[in-house]
Amino acid sequence: MLKKNSMIEITRGSLDTMTNQIKKSTDNEYDLYFGPAHPGSGNFSVKLRVEGEQIISARADPGYLHRGFEKLMEYRLPIQNAVLSDRICILESLNWNLAHAEAVDELMGIEVPPRAKYIRVLMAELSRIQSHIIWYGVLSIGLGFDTGFKMAFAYRDYILDLFELITGGRVYPAGYICPGGVRKDIPKGAKGRILKVLDKINEMIELEKLENPSLTSRTKGVGVLSIKDAIRLGATGPVLRASGMKTDVRRDDPYEIYDELDFEIPVRKEGDAYARYLIGIEEIKESIKILKQVLSRLPDGDFIDSSFRKPKLSAKMPIGDVYIRNEIARGEAGIYMVSNGGNSPYRCKIRGPSFLHMIPVLEYLLKGAQIADVPAIYWSLNICPADMDR
Amino acid sequence: MSKKEDILSSFSSKFDVKVKTQRDRRLWASIQKKDLLDISAWLKEKGFTHLSSLSVTDWIDDGKYELTYHLWSYTDNVLITLKTKISRKNPVIKSVSSIWGENAQIHEREMHELFGVKFEGNSDLSPLFLEDWSGVPPFKKDFDWREYVKEKFYDRNNERESGYYD
Repeated sequence: MLKKNSMIEITRGSLDTMTNQIKKSTDNEYDLYFGPAHPGSGNFSVKLRVEGEQIISARADPGYLHRGFEKLMEYRLPIQNAVLSDRICILESLNWNLAHAEAVDELMGIEVPPRAKYIRVLMAELSRIQSHIIWYGVLSIGLGFDTGFKMAFAYRDYILDLFELITGGRVYPAGYICPGGVRKDIPKGAKGRILKVLDKINEMIELEKLENPSLTSRTKGVGVLSIKDAIRLGATGPVLRASGMKTDVRRDDPYEIYDELDFEIPVRKEGDAYARYLIGIEEIKESIKILKQVLSRLPDGDFIDSSFRKPKLSAKMPIGDVYIRNEIARGEAGIYMVSNGGNSPYRCKIRGPSFLHMIPVLEYLLKGAQIADVPAIYWSLNICPADMDR
Repeated sequence: MSKKEDILSSFSSKFDVKVKTQRDRRLWASIQKKDLLDISAWLKEKGFTHLSSLSVTDWIDDGKYELTYHLWSYTDNVLITLKTKISRKNPVIKSVSSIWGENAQIHEREMHELFGVKFEGNSDLSPLFLEDWSGVPPFKKDFDWREYVKEKFYDRNNERESGYYD
């Protein structure tokens, strides 16, 4: 407790001199840190140079989650790296599992059985839906729409239940999608449960249709990214599509069974935060469409290449290099894997979509924006500090 | 697919490089360090507007760094990878940030930090991920993480950690 005589008395006059001094020294500009202690920023911070309410410049400060996976993978076997690849992005671990497994498959020339391909796509799309639901949730809470956040996380849990049923882990599947196929077959009865969960997700989208004004009024016309800037800054995925580019790795550079599936690529022209949010909702609907097709066509057969059924610890990878592109929820995922004939990859470069969305795109969009618009811009980019830092 | 063949033939005739087709939509080309900017500008003109990734591989036995530029064309749906080798002792190369903008700039900044490659013409190569790091660039092959961690963070006399020294 403070004693009365120890309190500093601030008179009107001294306060004026203090504010004058601050004004003089900073010329009305000051630095404002958004994150890393911000409740929603994730392990990331962006330093804003602010004049009044306006942002003059922004400088991203990444590295809080830099675990050096690229180097770590050089020390480990592909079977261990499959588990590591979960952690590249916490919010969509299965998608990164898939990208890693594809890189090893292609390097080693493994022909993945058809059933495994279908299960891989099934898991990747479920992962995409739950990631987009988180996106909707964090965007809502960032804008003060608490209901959206709670709704999103409640409905996401249904998908996590499915992950637990199929992979054994709710968030980290521990390398479920592994080189050669998937680690185990989907259990009996999973099909019916997935369809039930999809109905639930549809229900959420119907609820979301109410178009809450607290969401729309704060996202419309905010953080506009033109298509030219988007390409120059390296934006991909939903961010690029919201700026008017009709592109999707699943369609343009198909992997697994995506060339056999029928789905639309949602595109919008506005390029603002609202457009990006709408793209996210549209993509959930398209993923549901894909999942229904996958479930109806799921072939019988092996779920993993027979040579990988028993984990091989010393499977030498032939000399060569591959570049894998995958469409994950946040944009384009890339893995460049080099082998010099050893057991472990010689070099594994991971290209995370958030690396570009969180540094050049975010810095560009924040410049000239208002402080109040920072959350809308920040979360509308669907970013994940984990896949930026790796 | 005919467009891909067009790019292939005009590219190899114009710059005298061998373009290898790995599979559908994957082309690989090894180029000379001095041709990088010309080839990059020409490819961007031809529609390779997206620099998907930029990576460095440390071939320590050859004393070389290999830089790989993965370029995607949104119009032709083809990925072309340019590879070029530079000396490991004096790793300097021209920056492509004048061609692919901030996208290339940030990739080069990362590679500068992790491998120590200098990109001439890149305006900002300040540290990105590592804070207060003054040692060798940590992704180089001759930097052993395990040794570093042992020396820096583990204690041989600590009962729990002594196992790491066996």
